[in-house]
Amino acid sequence: MKIRKLELTHFGKFRDRTIRLGDGIQLFYGENEAGKTTIHTFVRCMLFGLERGRGRAAAHDTYSRYEPWDGPESYAGAMEFVCGGKTFRLERSFGKLARRAELICLDDGEQLSLEDGDLEMLLPGLDADSYLDTLYIPQSGAVTGEKLSEKLKNYAANFSVSGDSQIDLTAAREMLRQKEKELDRQARKHLEERQRKREKTEQEAGYVWRDIHRLEEELDRVREGLELKRIREEKEQKERERRESETRMIDEMRPAKWRVHPLEVAGIILAVVILFALVPRPWNYLLSVVAALGGGIYVWNRMKVEKKHKKTPPELILEEITPEEELASREKLLWEQQHLEAEKKEKQIQYDNLQEELADMSELDDVYREQERQRAALSLAFQRLGDVALDMQGQVRLELNRAVSGMIGQMTGGRYDRLYLDEGARLVFLKEGRRIPADRVSRGTMEQAYLALRLAASDLLYEEPYPLILDDTFACYDDRRLARTLDWLCENREQILLFTCQNREAEVMRREGIPFSLVDLS
Amino acid sequence: MIQVCADERADLLLVAGDLFHRQPLLRELKEADSLFASIPGTQVVLIAGNHDYIRRDSYYRTFRWSSNVHMLAGEKLEAVELPRLSCAVYGLSYHARQISAPLYDEARAQGRQRTEILLAHGGDGAHIPIDRERLAGLGYSYIALGHIHRPHVLVPSLAAYAGALEPTDRNDTGPHGYIEGEISPDEGGCRFSFVPFASRSYIHCEVEVDRRTTGMRLRELVEEKIRQNGKENIYKFLLKGYRDPDIAFDLDALGRQGNIIAISDETRPAYDMEKLYRNNRNNLIGKYIESFSGAEADSVEYGALCEGIAALMETRRGEA
Repeated sequence: MKIRKLELTHFGKFRDRTIRLGDGIQLFYGENEAGKTTIHTFVRCMLFGLERGRGRAAAHDTYSRYEPWDGPESYAGAMEFVCGGKTFRLERSFGKLARRAELICLDDGEQLSLEDGDLEMLLPGLDADSYLDTLYIPQSGAVTGEKLSEKLKNYAANFSVSGDSQIDLTAAREMLRQKEKELDRQARKHLEERQRKREKTEQEAGYVWRDIHRLEEELDRVREGLELKRIREEKEQKERERRESETRMIDEMRPAKWRVHPLEVAGIILAVVILFALVPRPWNYLLSVVAALGGGIYVWNRMKVEKKHKKTPPELILEEITPEEELASREKLLWEQQHLEAEKKEKQIQYDNLQEELADMSELDDVYREQERQRAALSLAFQRLGDVALDMQGQVRLELNRAVSGMIGQMTGGRYDRLYLDEGARLVFLKEGRRIPADRVSRGTMEQAYLALRLAASDLLYEEPYPLILDDTFACYDDRRLARTLDWLCENREQILLFTCQNREAEVMRREGIPFSLVDLS
Repeated sequence: MIQVCADERADLLLVAGDLFHRQPLLRELKEADSLFASIPGTQVVLIAGNHDYIRRDSYYRTFRWSSNVHMLAGEKLEAVELPRLSCAVYGLSYHARQISAPLYDEARAQGRQRTEILLAHGGDGAHIPIDRERLAGLGYSYIALGHIHRPHVLVPSLAAYAGALEPTDRNDTGPHGYIEGEISPDEGGCRFSFVPFASRSYIHCEVEVDRRTTGMRLRELVEEKIRQNGKENIYKFLLKGYRDPDIAFDLDALGRQGNIIAISDETRPAYDMEKLYRNNRNNLIGKYIESFSGAEADSVEYGALCEGIAALMETRRGEA
């Protein structure tokens, strides 16, 4: 692509100015304030448009700097360029109200559309950032040598890693890492939430389980009680039967109306007398008194028992077989057992349901799957970025080294044989087999290396050769190197826009017979 | 639902399984039964589905239902005859969590009454697979289907899933309710229709964003969607489209308005991959895009591509 004509309708200090451009070196000469910066800013604005800034910063941005004082409608311009054998005319109007851009092919009159990206089609790969980074080479006068060296190093390192000095691989990968970390944090949060929910259900299940056990214990107690009752009843039954048969025997012997049999009374008296008579003194007193008391108690007891027996016989029998309170508690126990069993079953089902719920919960949910996906994407991006970069690095370095070396050899007039990027992407000069790190060479050489690197980068970046814009780049070059560099540029580049405020470049070129066209801005 | 039966004086209330989500507790059965008993004019027929399947110790085995409630609890097809309605309802209950045999394929109507209805549950691989053609040829007047939560007609004017009365989980989107129908053998069989009944539904909303959508604008869009579709509903938002690469939406803040259970951001930064590729063919960005060529739009690869490009673009230096 070559620029043929610049038409500045009204841009900065220029009004209806037309500049025609040919092949090779186009030397824009002008003293300070002549409008050199305006011209190359105009070229940039034609290529990439000019947006109005916003807010406070707008007061000092490019837009307002070149905005005409009067009639902003005329804030416009046109550029004609040749590309792929055809001539195109690009018109832009930057006015606040009348923003407009048109692209026409002058050969066949075809109207092209900027919105549809036709300009990008014509000028592949060209964007504002990479333009500033490679094709536009500014004056470096203000930058100190140290800074320049730093800049050069960064440029080389970034470029060799990513093929574009603006791409920051390390930062990009770090960002992916951070995102992954953030995702991990979210996943943990989500997991914790789920865990809390789980724990709640588990706790509930725990309560139900405890209830079940409590019920079981109670059931055991009730069953035991029932069993005890049964055993005791059996025992009592036997006892009753035994006692009944015993009492019956005595009762049969006893006359019906007597509560105590006379023979029993006689027996007791006899026993007392015998004890008194037979046992030697003084023991007989004591023993007979004891026997008499025992007999008295027996008789008294007998009388008392007989008193209770005044109830009616059926009642008596019933009472003897099953005491009333005992009957009630047995029924109660049975009822209690039934009730407890029902409750236990209910709780058991509830417990099973909760367990099922827990099982369902342990299945992974959508959120988890989505996070897993994102994580996979991030780690793949991280991995792939590294791979691609590594893959590229070797290739880019190779190509860059090839391009840069030839250039530096010629520019320095063979003073340095080669300039190359080593494995660690450090810029190294080679001089008679000796390695010289880039920060050890003179400022001028450093600038040349920078230029060479940029040019090589632009060759790698763009398939289409674009015009090169040199903005007072050669301030630090000595005359010999300036001549060689210009010679090299003239031979190797199709179109160069060289801006300068000195006569030096023109003189050198005239002396060396390097062809150039002069555009006098003063 | 019971109120509807009472108001409409429904003859028959069919419950096609899964009345309970898990094993019913006794008190729950009592509760349900007392509700059914409150509409003595309506005959209730129910079966057990895969969720409340009849386990060994299930209360379904022993529970005594009210006189108007009939449970078809058998493992094999059985029928309850309702002579007053000259109707027989056939059905079977799940006795296991899963049944993979296509039990309904041979479940013919036996001609016991004038009107015969099948109460069926299942329809997927693990829960009695159902063959539509076979189902249509079984000879029933109506087939009430359960198991699938989304209401839909399986065989026109014959078989339909009523779906869940209320949506039961966040993916149960769409309307929910019951099926109301009338069978009159003299006037051309069965007519039925779906009646939306759920008090709220889950709505998945897609919100399309573009380069101009800011956080505030997105908030307005979301509020508008909620207003349009009803505040009582529960929302899940899906953000789609291409957003301004510099904007990140604050989903947490957004989720705090209204009934929003989830917002997923599927927006892509508005990087024009083709253009990016064209402009960066020879650098890392280009090579990176190249390495993912042919990635499907929803794949992990595509996600990786977007993440990687976003990282590269965002960390890109302004000027060298």
